[in-house]
Amino acid sequence: MTVHAIEATAISKKFGNLLALSDVNFSVADGETFGFLGPNGAGKTTTIRILTGITAPTAGTATIFGHDIVRETIAARRQMGIVHEISNVYDDLSAWHNILFASELYNVPRSAGERRGKELLELFGLWERKDDRVKVFSKGMKRRLTLAMGLVNDPRLLFLDEPTSGLDVQSNLIIRDVIRELTGQGVTVFLTTHNIEEANLICDRVAIINRGQIAAIDSPERLKKTIQSVQSVEVAFDPSSPKLLEHLRELPLVSEVRKEGDKFRLITEDPSGVIENVTTYAREHHTRIISMTTIGPSLEDVFIRLTGLMIRVKGVKAID
Amino acid sequence: MTDLNESCGQLCRELKAAWAIAKKDIRIYYLKPNIIVSGMLFPLFMFLAFAIGRDAPPTMLVPGLIAITILFSASSIEPVSIPIERRTKTFDRLLSAPVSLHSVVLGESMSGFLYSTGIALVPLSAGIILFSTPIVQPLALIGGVLLTSFCFATMGTLFAAYPTESPGDIMSMLNLVRLPLIFVSGVFIPVNALPQIGQIAVLFSPLTYGNDLIRAGFEGTTHFNPLMDVLAICVFILLFQVAANHLYRKFNE
Ligand SMILES: Nc1ncnc2c1ncn2[C@@H]1O[C@H](COP(=O)(O)OP(=O)(O)OP(=O)(O)O)[C@@H](O)[C@H]1O
Ligand SMILES: [Mg+2]
Repeated sequence: MTVHAIEATAISKKFGNLLALSDVNFSVADGETFGFLGPNGAGKTTTIRILTGITAPTAGTATIFGHDIVRETIAARRQMGIVHEISNVYDDLSAWHNILFASELYNVPRSAGERRGKELLELFGLWERKDDRVKVFSKGMKRRLTLAMGLVNDPRLLFLDEPTSGLDVQSNLIIRDVIRELTGQGVTVFLTTHNIEEANLICDRVAIINRGQIAAIDSPERLKKTIQSVQSVEVAFDPSSPKLLEHLRELPLVSEVRKEGDKFRLITEDPSGVIENVTTYAREHHTRIISMTTIGPSLEDVFIRLTGLMIRVKGVKAID
Repeated sequence: MTDLNESCGQLCRELKAAWAIAKKDIRIYYLKPNIIVSGMLFPLFMFLAFAIGRDAPPTMLVPGLIAITILFSASSIEPVSIPIERRTKTFDRLLSAPVSLHSVVLGESMSGFLYSTGIALVPLSAGIILFSTPIVQPLALIGGVLLTSFCFATMGTLFAAYPTESPGDIMSMLNLVRLPLIFVSGVFIPVNALPQIGQIAVLFSPLTYGNDLIRAGFEGTTHFNPLMDVLAICVFILLFQVAANHLYRKFNE
């Protein structure tokens, strides 16, 4: 029998009257990259805090490579690296002292800690700045340093709480590359995000969590299949007019229309029927179709469906 | 290969992590202005307020100054550093490290302990140089300084368990305890000279026993049995350590 990297059984967490997590069950296999996807306040950080033993669950249990996180906290933690949601670096220490402190806290021998520290600072593009106090670092630099600190003990299991939120493209790419490389080496990664594309790109499996409850767990592709009914046709017209939105909504077979930039997205269960209707409409109204494509459901569609964030249609953008 | 680290068991790991925490505090907090104010200037002014206008001999005043300097400086690091680290979330690093909470508490207290031992040298050398106060029992003096420092450093860590992100909250609670302690510890008023109720109250103050040892360093005699002094301080240290461990766990639920 292989032991799971993470096994969470019936976890609940109450803060006073607030039920932050309710009967959360999932397991993460050794070597898997597992994404926890959910809107703000869904309970992602709370889950990580429970799995890393910072807070105790109100009910339920969690094991890390077979070690109960409440009863065998230290044995469980020795296997893990943690990158907290907020870049919690020591502003008054240099980058170098930050990383050395992290290695001492995890009992990495001094020489190994220095070697690994240097490697990681180089990897994250911070080696030239190693003697600067972190106070003067930019947000992205602090984030990269936080990641480096989480890796200094060569963890078997890495917790990443929104590793890339608020970062520029370059920092994002570095971080994603590092995650890919780690998974290539067999490291298990548990990451939270509200960036659907990120989850789609790097996760083997994704759990969608909303209001403290898990709505679905599966691979990104399989999740998309579950809502095969949500297909869509994307179309652009020339000339485009604001009236089009009204008209397209009234076309038969179309269940919903979203304006996306200069294009319209028509949600339907029957893409080919809609294509015919749109073509007819264009001919009758003397407008030209510049482009028209059918697209399958995206993870975003799954997410919206499962978390019930349909208010988006009314103009409130609820997800990044 | 049997290098030191591989033969190092969990206890050894715990102590190393505690030392890493202490070192980090030393690097970051020893030079913070508010720590210098509460750790050095505060006891000095307290002392002046008492000493000026009284014609007590230096052998009476110097040990008292040392005792209150320790009281204030040892408990001035953690009540500042821990709320700040709660705010910056760096405290979560310590709470999620592969070490027991006891080691976190110990590491935090160690920085206060070293700070106060260093600061105590100031009134000590002032006493020796300015008033040429003789030291008659160096062992009692050293033991008194070290134990008292450790005791109040742990007390500082205990108070810092209160889950706030503002150092002021903890400082005001702490002063509610530290200020009265000065009066019921025989620091400026000898235990014998206190009223009956005061003589009972002194028994519950760790400063009484620390002050007794430090005073013995200069005067040669103790009010209590010196062994009882040592034992009493150790009991307080243990009490504070266990209570701190309990509170950090509780407030983190
Ligand atoms: N210490 C706490 N005390 C009280 N309530 C809390 C505490 N920590 C979290 N909560 C509540 O638990 C719920 C889940 O919070 P959590 O931080 O886990 O969300 P999240 O999914 O990480 O959100 P985000 O995407 O904004 O980071 C929220 O309603 C939050 O207010
Ligand atoms: Mg969060």
